[in-house]
Amino acid sequence: MPPSPFRDLTNLGGRAFDRVGELTDRMLDGNLRIGVTGLRRSGKTVFTTALIDNLLHADRLPFLDVVATGRFIAARMEPQPDQAVPRFDYETQIARLTAPDPAWPNNTKVTSQARVAIRYMPGSLLKRRLRGVTRLNLDIIDYPGEWLLDLPLLDRTYAEWSRETLALSRRAPRDALAAEWLAYLSNRDPSGPAEEAVARRAAELYTNYLLACRASDQLLSLIQPGRFVEPGELIGAPVLAFCPLPEPAARAGRHTLWSMMEERFEAYKTNVVRRFFAEHFARLDRQIVLVDVLGALNAGPAALADMQTSLSATLESFHHGRSSWLDRLLGGRIDRVLFAATKADHIPSNQHGNLRRLLDGLVAERRNAIRFEGAAVETMALAALKCTETVMAEHQGRQLSCVRGIPLGRTEPTVLYPGEIPDDHRLLDRDGIRKLNFLDFRPPTLAGRHGRGLPNIRLDQALEFLVGDFLS
Amino acid sequence: MTGRTRDPDYVAPDYIQPMELDPSGNVVVVPDERSTGPHPSGEPAGEVETPDPVPAPRRWAVRLLVGSAAVLVALAVGYDTVDLVRRAFDTSMVLGIGAAALAAGTVVGAFGVVAGELRSLRRLRQIDGLRQDAEHLRAAGTHGEAERYAGAVASLYRDRSDLAPQLTSLKDHLSDAHDDREVVRMVDLQLLQDIDRRAYQLVLRASRDTAIATALSPAALLDVAIVLWRNLKLVREVASLYGARPGYVGGLKLLRRMLGNIAIAGVAESGNHLVAEALGSTLAASLSARVGQGVINGLLTARVGLTAMHLCRPLAYDETNRPSLKRIRRELLSVPKQVL
Repeated sequence: MPPSPFRDLTNLGGRAFDRVGELTDRMLDGNLRIGVTGLRRSGKTVFTTALIDNLLHADRLPFLDVVATGRFIAARMEPQPDQAVPRFDYETQIARLTAPDPAWPNNTKVTSQARVAIRYMPGSLLKRRLRGVTRLNLDIIDYPGEWLLDLPLLDRTYAEWSRETLALSRRAPRDALAAEWLAYLSNRDPSGPAEEAVARRAAELYTNYLLACRASDQLLSLIQPGRFVEPGELIGAPVLAFCPLPEPAARAGRHTLWSMMEERFEAYKTNVVRRFFAEHFARLDRQIVLVDVLGALNAGPAALADMQTSLSATLESFHHGRSSWLDRLLGGRIDRVLFAATKADHIPSNQHGNLRRLLDGLVAERRNAIRFEGAAVETMALAALKCTETVMAEHQGRQLSCVRGIPLGRTEPTVLYPGEIPDDHRLLDRDGIRKLNFLDFRPPTLAGRHGRGLPNIRLDQALEFLVGDFLS
Repeated sequence: MTGRTRDPDYVAPDYIQPMELDPSGNVVVVPDERSTGPHPSGEPAGEVETPDPVPAPRRWAVRLLVGSAAVLVALAVGYDTVDLVRRAFDTSMVLGIGAAALAAGTVVGAFGVVAGELRSLRRLRQIDGLRQDAEHLRAAGTHGEAERYAGAVASLYRDRSDLAPQLTSLKDHLSDAHDDREVVRMVDLQLLQDIDRRAYQLVLRASRDTAIATALSPAALLDVAIVLWRNLKLVREVASLYGARPGYVGGLKLLRRMLGNIAIAGVAESGNHLVAEALGSTLAASLSARVGQGVINGLLTARVGLTAMHLCRPLAYDETNRPSLKRIRRELLSVPKQVL
């Protein structure tokens, strides 16, 4: 069932009203919404924390033009514009990361927002005469990456989604995880009567399957719907009590299991996904897509393919394109997109080029589509928090570029040779994957000492690409 | 340590298995390793960036003439000096010792001057080499070879107390994660752009000086002298700022190369064009010829100064940070107002 056009219209009306307030805000000050997009475990929270920390200290951003030319004055965190959204808990995150016994952030459970205000001198003489010291507000939101995968649902009907999801769950490596749920479904008739108990049980088994996917070491990314595994405030709500069903042969009438599930699916789309999208993603100006390429490489070819599909499906929902000043005022389009391979510190720095090219190949299709629509696209290998250093070690008479750092769960540093990553994902066959082994490293001890901000790799260049033109 | 293999029946790999090595073993942090590494570009490729439009033929006859004449003159002067000292000794012991001491002083001084000049020429050549290295590094986009370049540039400015903060920040910001292109850019941003700013100020001042002095000077011959002297001084100032510290010969050599470069690069235009450029035709008509002359000389000085910046910088400018004549031109246009 296609969504009613009137519902869209009311949504639009509400959004337009919201924007009038924001418009005045935008006229007076420069506001910029950065969408930090990334599947789960791609490092959104760490990226956001490191970004804020580095902007506040501004001492490790040599390639950010406004800092390099000495026009940067200061930055601080300010109350965010959306009162209903929790504030991003930067203080706790940074305290965890820089503690004597540092730890990575836990799974993000809810949405949160941060605003960093930057005061700077404009670079051009004219602007400086006109405005003097200028300020730019950066709005960044953090959210569970699982929810991002709900966005592709918006274009699917329940029948389409059911078919795709069932097909996927019958293929390896998911079939083993889905066995119980599939067995339960095979004993139920979709065109049978709508029983709440059956729906609940099916949804529960489906959720278990999704949780198993998430927990598996294959790093399966395609987990839909995201609220099933990270319900946020929706725990136990009936809108979460549905799951894909095999399509009934004849068109299912009212009050059947199928029609109940379909209604709930549509309700999920309207009340959960569309709202999430409208509140946080519809008005983005710039977007950074964090991709944990190394994690997927570690997990195997299936994980890499899975990640590629998920990313590509997710990005279709965003509006990209060159934005005029009017667009910018109304907040319409994303005109710069940065694809970033995160955790680049897990490999020696001479392989960063290959990592970047590998990512280039993975996202090539999406990248070209976005570029075609008129937005600028860039790829980069970065690390929001640099945990290792590159060292040369001798092994059987050969010099190997290795990384040195403390792996998670240990206390002593190790020197790891992770293998050479190829510069194209097509070179990765089953055999190729085995040549690689990345370890997860602990955050460096006392990372933020001397008040310089968190050590990072290319965070400054990412910032320059994302916001540099606003700070010129 | 053995590699971590997930597949035990895998034999004879043609690659190195991922593994953990002994952290207490033979491990070198990369930047140190790089600084002792091989020369990045291998053979320095000679004067690549300013090719001679007409290759000069090696004229052995001229060389023979100049060489023999020089040796002859040296011989004559030496012979005369020896003769002079001997005659002085004949006259009086004291006079002899004095003359001998003076002769010795002259010889030692001459050697000192020549050595200094040679050193300064070598430094100029070194900067040329650095510029070429940087070009290679920028083009290649490799990893791990630019540390050497950064070290060489930093050591060029090691004794400069005025650049100490920049050097410190360069050292702070460079990390093992930067590739060669980024290292070169970092040197540019953290170190050289500050020097650029100061050099630009020097050029600005010199071109104003020349413009005003030419406008006020009564004789044409004096003009030429002023322009030559001021340009030579500017070139030496700019070169010292960039760490080239040229001697007299070095300065002249630079000036000569610069004039050649101005012509080659088409930087200098014809006099008419310059007048129009500087003043606009109606304004030019209304001003006295002398003031116009001053502005043109000022512009010429500015061009010489900017070319000196190009030639003395250990890193070629790219499109974004090339110094422009724009501001100097505006400044010079206010000169007629000040003079009249």
